[in-house]
Amino acid sequence: MKINKYVYLLYNCLFLILMAGFSACKHDDYTVKKSNENIRLAGDFLKNNYDYTLFYAALDYTGILPQLNEKGPFTVLAPNNKAFIELGIQSAADIKKLNRDSLKQAMALHIISRSLRQSDVPVNTVNVEYQSLAGVPVYVSFGTKNPANPDEYEWTSVLYFNGSRATRKDVQLVNGILHSLDKVMKRYPGKGVQQWLSDRPAYSIFVSGLKKFGLWDELAGKGPFTIFAPNNQAFTNMGISKADIDALDPGKYIGPRLFGAYIQYEKRYFLSDLNAFSFINNQNTYENFTRNGNSYFKWYAYGATHTISLADRKEFPSVGYGQSIIELATMGYRMDNLCDNGTVQDLPELLVTPGQALKK
Amino acid sequence: MKRSLYILCVAVLALAACRKVDYTTIDQPAYLRVFNDLNYSQTMENMNSLYPSLCMIIDPVLDADGIPTGGKVVGDFLDKREAYAPPYPSHVGNSTSVQNPEYPGKENVLVGPILNGFDLSSWAQVPSGKLRIMFLYRPHTSTPFFELETKLKKNVLIDTTINLSAKEVYTLHVLQKDFKTKRNGLLLREESFHKLPLSDSLAYINFYNYSANGFFQADISQKPQEIPGTDRLGLFITGVKDSMNVFLSLFERQTGNVLSPVVKNYNSKYLGTVVRNNETNKVNPYYSFPLWADPKSDGIRTDIWQNLEFLGLGLDIANRPNIKSPGNYACVYFLLNGKSLPPAPLASFIGLNGIPRPNLLVSLHSGLNNPQTFATVSTLEIINSNVYLTTVQRKYPTPIYK
Repeated sequence: MKINKYVYLLYNCLFLILMAGFSACKHDDYTVKKSNENIRLAGDFLKNNYDYTLFYAALDYTGILPQLNEKGPFTVLAPNNKAFIELGIQSAADIKKLNRDSLKQAMALHIISRSLRQSDVPVNTVNVEYQSLAGVPVYVSFGTKNPANPDEYEWTSVLYFNGSRATRKDVQLVNGILHSLDKVMKRYPGKGVQQWLSDRPAYSIFVSGLKKFGLWDELAGKGPFTIFAPNNQAFTNMGISKADIDALDPGKYIGPRLFGAYIQYEKRYFLSDLNAFSFINNQNTYENFTRNGNSYFKWYAYGATHTISLADRKEFPSVGYGQSIIELATMGYRMDNLCDNGTVQDLPELLVTPGQALKK
Repeated sequence: MKRSLYILCVAVLALAACRKVDYTTIDQPAYLRVFNDLNYSQTMENMNSLYPSLCMIIDPVLDADGIPTGGKVVGDFLDKREAYAPPYPSHVGNSTSVQNPEYPGKENVLVGPILNGFDLSSWAQVPSGKLRIMFLYRPHTSTPFFELETKLKKNVLIDTTINLSAKEVYTLHVLQKDFKTKRNGLLLREESFHKLPLSDSLAYINFYNYSANGFFQADISQKPQEIPGTDRLGLFITGVKDSMNVFLSLFERQTGNVLSPVVKNYNSKYLGTVVRNNETNKVNPYYSFPLWADPKSDGIRTDIWQNLEFLGLGLDIANRPNIKSPGNYACVYFLLNGKSLPPAPLASFIGLNGIPRPNLLVSLHSGLNNPQTFATVSTLEIINSNVYLTTVQRKYPTPIYK
């Protein structure tokens, strides 16, 4: 009987504690806070996202930012911070060291003046042009293995803007759409591939070779061209200096192989095009003959690894001259330099040495 | 009293249920079936070519900028053609996608009647006479053509006129005429099967090679690749030569993994020659084989399967396993229902090199017989790397239950 009394008391105590607990709740905060609806304007979204601080700083510096909080609609192609760091831009202070006008042009390219979701882009099509605020078009490529449901899995489709992959797609903003890019798009309005190469001392050996073998002047033409330009380091790696190239006798070497192999005529490729085609129709190899028909150019893409090689012929047995491997994960920022008459890609290795291009 | 009240109620209900329905009719129609034969694959070489998904507009209405805003007949979502065009428009019941492998296909339009024993439900009724017809590229999405943004409505593939006679049966092909110049065009074929005295106990097939000029001669790197998970291309992948001899073999039923014997007298029987021609719309002759070719069949059902072989001129069919050169040999086998691999004896050879298509005979439940086998009229079209089979539905005899 006594035990029952204690149990009864215990229950009472518990009840009291419970009531005390309830009364301790603060009721004035009970209503749910209303979220700030304005935070998803394009400009504000970038400001509040730590992965786009450098892009935000660039937009701020160039004065594009206020426009992004206007009505729109816009499509913001936002390169993440990693993309800027690869280019050597580490902080907002670095951005302020850049030329404001050319940076403005470059950043305006990253804003398309319409709302463009992935579903608005025609499926399995490359180079669809959409006008950017910079006044030049952005080339969009969209490849999928499943046209009926491109977003079935993450690996079912790829979306590229001027060769930069959209890693995060269709982020809804109040005044548009945002796609996150893995690298900054590089466009050089008013410059052809020839001008681009001659502006850069890192390709001086390649340029003198092109001049020597009479391939240079044509690059000022309409094109379009895709140039896989070996940088000076690629020549140095093989022990070839500018003086060696200058000393070559063009009569003794096969020019279209030795230097012509690096040029794709009447074709303008972003490296990502081959990746897009591997989704569109399983094509992950692009092959053709050099201009004189005596060497065979092969470009193979396996995911983010692109292998470019040159051989003496297509059929077995063929003798390979050399190959160059481009790892997009680490070298991607040096690729897809879009000029008025084509693209320039950076090659870390030579495809052929002078010894392999001797006339017999 | 009570009874008349009931009758009154029923009469009132019946009258109230009446509704005047205005049926859509087309005076003096022609019967049209449209296939999109553009089966090119987009490659790095022709990278700016568009995915061949089309919108067909007959008698289009254009706005001031020349952009179509409507038309008398619209066949939207006209996708790449499927390898098999069944005798009945069954696509609509087999998928939820809006993409249409042929016109009318999934479209809810007036279709043809039963004409001289042929069910034309896969042929749409369209006005006869001279018609302006446009084919426009459209993105491969589920947005209807007229709701697309203006920019995507400007890609005209073909804008021409066709002349259709009333009560005639037409098959219209949108195809690539020249592989090198990428010139596209139309081929309007006035069918003749409903005018021919065809026998119920013979199965008929005719052949066309509508490949683009220069396709076979082009380098393999320019041609479509075989994509896993899609239709097999077999030895047709390289295309076939412009003139090919056609041989027919009939085989008895396959039971398990044993040799299925060749039906007597139907071992590599020469049928005729198929010549590449995508410019003229002539109907090629029909070849036939008896429905009851197998002496073991009972006159009600038969489970023979067929094999068609295409062989370069001057080559001997007896040497088939030694033929390695591209374009000189290709084959199609017509499987029994439910089989995905060819039966022996040539399984290792045909199965490896040939491509499967449905059987040329239709076996289905009819009255007391389950199944009963019926002959069909079919058309086989070789277009570049692909082979398309179209089966026309014949009106089957009335089932007998007693």
